[in-house]
Amino acid sequence: MIRRWNAFWFAPGDPVTLGVCRLLFFGGLFLWRLPYDFSTWGAYSSVFWMPIWLFDTLRLPAFSPDTLMWVQTVWKASLFLSAVGLFARPAMTVAFVLGVYLLGLPQNFGQTQHFDTLVVFASGALAMSRAADAVSIDAWLRPRRADDAGEYTWPIKFVWVAMAVIFCAAGLSKLRHSGVEWFLSDNMSWLLWRQQYHISDGEPLTRWGIWVANHGSLARAMAASAVCIETCFPLVIVSRRARYVIAPAGLLFLVGIRALMGPTFEQFMLCYVFWVPWGLLYSVRARSTAIGATSSPTTTPSIATSACCTTRSGNDRHVEAIAPAASATRQATVVN
Amino acid sequence: MRRTVVSALLLAFLLGSAYDIVADEEHWPFSQYPMFSGVWHSPTFTWLRLYGVANDGHEFALDANRYVSPFDQSRLPKVLRRMLEQRDGTARVRQALGDLAARYETLRRDGAHDGPRLAQLRLYEVEWTIDSQARNVDHPDRRRLIAEVQP
Repeated sequence: MIRRWNAFWFAPGDPVTLGVCRLLFFGGLFLWRLPYDFSTWGAYSSVFWMPIWLFDTLRLPAFSPDTLMWVQTVWKASLFLSAVGLFARPAMTVAFVLGVYLLGLPQNFGQTQHFDTLVVFASGALAMSRAADAVSIDAWLRPRRADDAGEYTWPIKFVWVAMAVIFCAAGLSKLRHSGVEWFLSDNMSWLLWRQQYHISDGEPLTRWGIWVANHGSLARAMAASAVCIETCFPLVIVSRRARYVIAPAGLLFLVGIRALMGPTFEQFMLCYVFWVPWGLLYSVRARSTAIGATSSPTTTPSIATSACCTTRSGNDRHVEAIAPAASATRQATVVN
Repeated sequence: MRRTVVSALLLAFLLGSAYDIVADEEHWPFSQYPMFSGVWHSPTFTWLRLYGVANDGHEFALDANRYVSPFDQSRLPKVLRRMLEQRDGTARVRQALGDLAARYETLRRDGAHDGPRLAQLRLYEVEWTIDSQARNVDHPDRRRLIAEVQP
């Protein structure tokens, strides 16, 4: 049991993949939240304040607008530093701690929304991780050789598992509260129509929802697909084939929600950067660039080793877990 | 040692998630993710909606987020509904409307929206019969005044 646990979470991984995930995740979050002003939440009177358990338990208040301005400035700076990988460990820790507060703050105003939960979990995992061992200014200034390649796998797999848990819980919730009626009845048509009445946190990006709602069979098929994708999502953890189908389907599902119904899952979609084997793409590209620049094979190892500071076996095993077809190419590329 | 700590945190996440899913409870950031899990049958629905009254008496719906930001059209009606369900609900809502009117004006001055200066802010419970083309979005079947304030 423990061996299987360790084999799953701590399989040798690739620091480049994790580093690129860190860069894109925190960079995307920084850009997404840069224009958003949290300080305005501090200006509302106490009648709005309905604390969720976390804030209630920790006795966290809604700070004044001035304090919130400082908190969000530090948070946004920490997101930027986390993205570029400068003072990355403390920056990621600050990004997580302040992120829990700032992203949790609006949930205390009458409604808990679920767009940010995966972002919070992913931030926490990265704060605990060694995600700045590659593709970071820290690594560039102070290169270090990885002593445990398993450190580069668990944060990525954690996001996979967290995403699977969230999707699956949403599917189970529908089945628990409504059963098959959720997708066999006209429920989806009513939902799609209702969302046109300015009742969502975001307006539907298109009016296609009306068209779908007026085609009952299509709406029912869409509802059935939604429940199927959600409840079956955990298969991506155990089956590579399922991963290639269900993970993109989940992304399309989120895009569909945004386009047809309105809820803003953009930050959740941002977490899809953790599904891409960036290290593999980098090394394949580096190899093709090297071959294009000179046919001399001696240039390849230096590019590969500069990209990956872990062990060869560690890299290859991780790559194989994600994309076995291309791992042969990578084995030819990564030469110490 | 480090792996033990990481494993403990991973396990805590799994157990926390499992608890909320099984117990059908919510402890943000853990949740059972109940969004849209109910079945909708009714062709009608009610919603709380803010309406502004301009100085010329013209009444208009504040049905876009730009009027109520950082609230949105999902969260705001729900927090107001929860206030109404509390003791002294109407008094609480009146105080809330004062805040919302001030926020509207701040957003207006900042150029976040082009709405007129408010003479009054009203909260209605509105009811629609759902139209298959959503043609009646701006014309609910019924409106019931809950509270109003003068900014």
